[in-house]
Amino acid sequence: MDPAATTTGTTDGAGPAIRAVELVKAFGPIRAVDDVSFELAPGRIYGMLGPNGSGKTTLIRLLTGLARPTQGHAEVLGVPVPSRQILARIGYMTQSDGIYPTLTVGENATFFSAAYGVRGGQAMHEALRLVDLDDRLDSIAGTLSGGQRRRLSLACALIHRPPVLFLDEPTVGIDPLLRVEFWAHFRALADAGATIVVSSHVMDEADRCDELLFIRSGKVIARGSGREIRAQAGTENLEQAFLRLGGGVEATR
Amino acid sequence: MNARRTAAIFRRVAQEIRRDHRSVALLFVVPILMTGLVTFIVREGQAPEVDAVVVNDAGPVGIAVADALDTTLTGEGGSARIVADAASAEAMIRDGTASVAITLPAGLGNGGSPTITILTDGLDPTGEASQVVAVQRALVTAAADVTGVRPPAIEHMTLYGTPSDDPMAAFAPGIIGFFAYFFVFILTGVSFLRERTGGTLERLMATPVTRGEIVSGYTLGFGLFATIQVALLVAWGLGSVEVPAIGPLPAFSLGLGLPSAGNPLLVFLVVLVAALGAVSLGIFLSTFARTELQVIQFIPLAIVPQFLLSGILFPVSGLPEILQPFVLLMPMTYAVNGLQEVLIAGADIGTAALQLDLVVLTLFAVFFAAIASLTIRRDVA
Repeated sequence: MDPAATTTGTTDGAGPAIRAVELVKAFGPIRAVDDVSFELAPGRIYGMLGPNGSGKTTLIRLLTGLARPTQGHAEVLGVPVPSRQILARIGYMTQSDGIYPTLTVGENATFFSAAYGVRGGQAMHEALRLVDLDDRLDSIAGTLSGGQRRRLSLACALIHRPPVLFLDEPTVGIDPLLRVEFWAHFRALADAGATIVVSSHVMDEADRCDELLFIRSGKVIARGSGREIRAQAGTENLEQAFLRLGGGVEATR
Repeated sequence: MNARRTAAIFRRVAQEIRRDHRSVALLFVVPILMTGLVTFIVREGQAPEVDAVVVNDAGPVGIAVADALDTTLTGEGGSARIVADAASAEAMIRDGTASVAITLPAGLGNGGSPTITILTDGLDPTGEASQVVAVQRALVTAAADVTGVRPPAIEHMTLYGTPSDDPMAAFAPGIIGFFAYFFVFILTGVSFLRERTGGTLERLMATPVTRGEIVSGYTLGFGLFATIQVALLVAWGLGSVEVPAIGPLPAFSLGLGLPSAGNPLLVFLVVLVAALGAVSLGIFLSTFARTELQVIQFIPLAIVPQFLLSGILFPVSGLPEILQPFVLLMPMTYAVNGLQEVLIAGADIGTAALQLDLVVLTLFAVFFAAIASLTIRRDVA
C-alpha cells in the first residue's frame, strides 16, 4: 500500500479502497466498535464475520459515514468520510430491505437512480436484469416474496455502479439457490473491480470471500483467507477457528 | 439543494400517498365529514324543551305568571304547570317528569326585588344553563304580560353588518382551519416516520441526497395533497350547490354554504399556508419519534394546546392573562384570526392584519422545515 495515495485523495487502483484508522464507536459505556484499523484493497470480496451484536453493522455505518466515530477516522477511495462526494460511489444494502413497499419495482429503482443522480433508465434496467426482476417492473414491491424484495434491495444498491459496495447480511432469509446467485453476482462485480464488504454470521459463506475479518465485541480478532485462518488456528473448519481465536460459542451456528 | 433529487423525493412521496387509499380518505373525506357534522349539529341543534313545574307562593299574581309562562313555553315545545308544594316539585325533578322547578315567592308583583328560585337536578350543567336562560326569557315575557310594562328591546349591531343569522358563522374560522391542519399533521408525521422504521431513511442517508432535499421533497409532496385538500374543504365549506330533485331523490344542497364576507381565494390561501406549516411540524416532530404510537403521542403536545388556545374552543380574549403569551406561539391562532378577518370582516389582501397572519404562518412553516432538516440525523438507526 502506498500511503501517499490516500493523502492525495487518489481513488481507484492505487491506494486501498477502504481504510479504517483506530475507529472507535461508543454508545455510553459500550464500545460497539473498539479500536479497529485496517486497509481493504480494491477488487476483492471481504467477509466480515461475527455473531449478532458484535459490531458489524456499526462498523459498516462508520465506514459509509452514516455514523460518526467517537475516535479515529475512515477513508473510502482515499476520501475521508463522511463525504457526500463519496456517497455517490458507495452502494449500501441495508440489513432491512430499505425499499418502499407501496411503490412498484420500477418506481423504487427509478427513485434510487435519481437519488444517486443516475440519468436515463439504462443503468436501472441493467441492475434489475442482474437480479432477474426486469420483468417485474410494475409489481408492487410489498407484494413480492421475501427473496424478491432482497433482490430489489440489492438492485437499488447497484444502480449507480458503485466501486465500493457494503452488503449488510445480504443473504439472510433467502433460499440456498438465490444465495448461490447472489454470490455469483458479487464475484462478477468484484472481477469488474468493485470492492465488496459482506457482513454475515453464516460461516459457510466465508469461503466465498477472498479475505475474512473475524469480528468479536467490536474488535477484529483475525484476518486472512479462510485457509490462512484455519491454518493459524490449527482447526479443520472456520467455526472451530472462530472459537479458538476467541470468538465465543454463539458464533457457531 | 439539487432540484432533480428534490423532485424525485416529491414524486415518490406523491406516489406513496396516492397508493395509500386510507390516507387519501383521511385527507379528503374525513375533514368534509367532520365539518359537515359540526355544521349540522350547530345549525340543526334543538332549542331546549322546558317542562317546568311552578310552586306558587305568590297568590293570584303567581297564577297569572304561571299561565303566561305556560303559554310561552308551550310555544317552544315545553310546558309549565302549578304543583302543590316544593316537595312534590322536587320529587318530579328527581323522577324526571319535570326538568325545571320554579318557585314564585310571596310578594311577587308588589314592588321590591323578590327572588325567584329555579331548581334543576344539576347533572348536565350546560344543557340546564340553556334551560335556565329559556325560563328567564319566558319569565320576562310573562311578567310583561302580567304587569303590562315591557322592558326595552336590545338590538345587537356589528361593525361588519348585523350578525349573520347562521349560527355556524362563529364556528367556521375555527373548524375549517383546524381540520385542515390536524389531518395534514398526522399524515405527514406518520409517513415520515415510516421512512425511518422501514429502513429507507437509513438507505437514503447513504445516498448523496441531503437532509434539506428530503424535507423539501416531503413538503412539496404533502403540500400538493394539502393544496387539494384545502381547495376541496374551502369549496365544500363556502360553496352551496342546489341539486334539483332527480327521480325519487329529493332536492338537496351540496356544500355548507358558510357565509364569507371576503374572497374565497383568500380563505384558501390562509388555510393552505397553515396546512403547509402542519407539514413541516409533522416532519419535525416525527424526527423525535421511533414508532407510530409516538407520533400519536405528540398530538396532546402539538395539537390539543392549539385547539384550546387559538380561539377555536374558547375566545382568546377570555383566556387567563398567564396563557396569553402561549396564544401567540400557536400557529392556529393566526390561522383562526386570518380566517375571521376574511370570513367575517371581509379583509382583502391589502389588509394589514391579514398580511401579518399570513407572514407569521409562513414563518412557522419555514421555521419548522428548517429545524426539521437539522434534526434528521445521520445517526438514524
